[in-house]
Amino acid sequence: MNQLHNGFTLFLSLLVEALPFLLLGVLFSGLLLLFVDERKLANALPRHPLLGAFVGSLIGFLFPVCECGNVPVARRLITQGVPASVAIGFLLAAPTVNPIVIWATWTAFRDQPEIVVLRVVLSLAIATIIGWVFSTQADLRPLLQTSVANAMPTPTKKRQGFWSQMSPQEESVPALLQSGTFLISGSGQAIRMDAATLPMTASVGTTKSLKSIKYRLGLFLENSVQELRELGAVLIVGSAIAATIQVAVPRELILSLGQGPITSIIAMMVLAAVVSICSTVDSFFALSFATAFTPASLLAFLIFGPMIDLKGIGLMLSIFKGRAVIYIFALAAQLTFLFTLIYQMIY
Amino acid sequence: MAFTFKKKLKINQSLVSWLDVIGIIAWGILLLKYWFTDQLGLLIHPDYFWLTICGGFGLLTIGGCKAWLMLKPYLKQRPYSRKNYIPPQSEQHITLFPPGVSSIILITAAILGFFISPRIFTSQIALQRGVTDTLLMTRAQPKEFKTAKHPEQRTLIDWVRTLNVYPEPDAYTGQKAKVEGFVIHPPQLPDNYLLISRFVITCCAADAYPVGLPVKLTSSRSTFAPDTWLNVQGEMITETLSGKRQLVINANSITPIPEPKNPYNY
Repeated sequence: MNQLHNGFTLFLSLLVEALPFLLLGVLFSGLLLLFVDERKLANALPRHPLLGAFVGSLIGFLFPVCECGNVPVARRLITQGVPASVAIGFLLAAPTVNPIVIWATWTAFRDQPEIVVLRVVLSLAIATIIGWVFSTQADLRPLLQTSVANAMPTPTKKRQGFWSQMSPQEESVPALLQSGTFLISGSGQAIRMDAATLPMTASVGTTKSLKSIKYRLGLFLENSVQELRELGAVLIVGSAIAATIQVAVPRELILSLGQGPITSIIAMMVLAAVVSICSTVDSFFALSFATAFTPASLLAFLIFGPMIDLKGIGLMLSIFKGRAVIYIFALAAQLTFLFTLIYQMIY
Repeated sequence: MAFTFKKKLKINQSLVSWLDVIGIIAWGILLLKYWFTDQLGLLIHPDYFWLTICGGFGLLTIGGCKAWLMLKPYLKQRPYSRKNYIPPQSEQHITLFPPGVSSIILITAAILGFFISPRIFTSQIALQRGVTDTLLMTRAQPKEFKTAKHPEQRTLIDWVRTLNVYPEPDAYTGQKAKVEGFVIHPPQLPDNYLLISRFVITCCAADAYPVGLPVKLTSSRSTFAPDTWLNVQGEMITETLSGKRQLVINANSITPIPEPKNPYNY
């Protein structure tokens, strides 16, 4: 009973910390949906997969979100027709490579500037590599959850930028039989709410009412409610799992996994995934282990935690199918381990 | 038949929309409730209170706006105006859970939050996380750290930080100690020793970790049950416990105190 109550307190503390960040991410996603012309956005992004992944990794500077807020934004980017490399680069790098987190890390590790620099550089590198790897999959849709895949603009052979109109099959199906979120316009026509078709909606129905601020605010509100409901529930389930594991598995067990050069890196990566604290504050937490663990293992904690944690895996599953999440998880873990091990051997 | 089906669908959709609104508003209220009832300190570091408070107001605003939009046509009491608001249909938007289920998870978790108060972690968690008198440098950077304090004015955390800077226990022998914390009975210590501990948090309770110093008693520790809060006064001595030389408080007065409002240290 005691343990249950402790676990519940842990669960609440994770949520009290994460919900505001999720809200921030949902609001950013709404802004992206309404005020950014995705056709322009997609055309402005570099087409080269490697460069695209790199640019995607830097979008965190525009949308400073942590690992709870990045999911709604990344999902929005994907449904806006942004290339996979860009979206995945963003998903993995944004929680680390953004001004707030860099500032927090700097505050915590002022005495070891190399940790701050390497955290940013290595996170960028890993996110770019994984984004690049995923860009070899020309059509990302088999890896996505059905609803996200359906909301994506269909790639056509002659790609007009990265964005295209509905495919002929889709056009032949009455609008309401297609999947997606629909609004009924003033003229009684069904309009798909998903971002991919937003420019198209401008040509349907009365243009004036659709463009009005009121309409946009209504859409913004509706989008926020839906994302909050859906991702909030996922976050609750994820936090419950993270809290259960924290109560059930002694932290000493994780820490005693290793004090050796290799095992300490693994121990800190496991700890990062289990503790599931937000990237904006994890550097302070890592600092408390500074005297007991090697700099390389702290670095592993700081790089791996924001990319993958128990609380966030559920959120990732709202974009990707389980298979793709496993790929991302495995790649991120291996690259983090490899890079921090090299750092360990050099210093 | 088709008509009743349509009607049923409409009712279901409006029910789901209301569940959304209730779930979001409930979480907004819950976050603010922790703030009003001073329980936020049990969950998160005071530096981040503003985050939770803004989040609470944000959720209330979104939930409130949506509720207002849904109620508006009915409040105006003009039947034809009901046509003005047609709730957007959200089929297929959901990925992991069907729409009703997501809202129900939100509402259930919020209800549990209303009925079960968060509480301070017990010695059980402390033992599980491994109490220590070393390792820790939290937010307070050593340069802000003042060693000039009289020994008896040091809190438990001050002692641990001092030890962190200069770990030799003999350096503190004979100094007076006066600390407050809760009792842990570590199985590896003899029966006349207990640990006086505090949790330190850097961000939220999920990262809380315990620090503590052993206290030498004249009698068995069973007089002081685990999780009791104590004010311990005594003198510092060095002893070898479980094979490790360490700083120990030789207690000469122990008084039980009520659990402090904010049990964590920063």
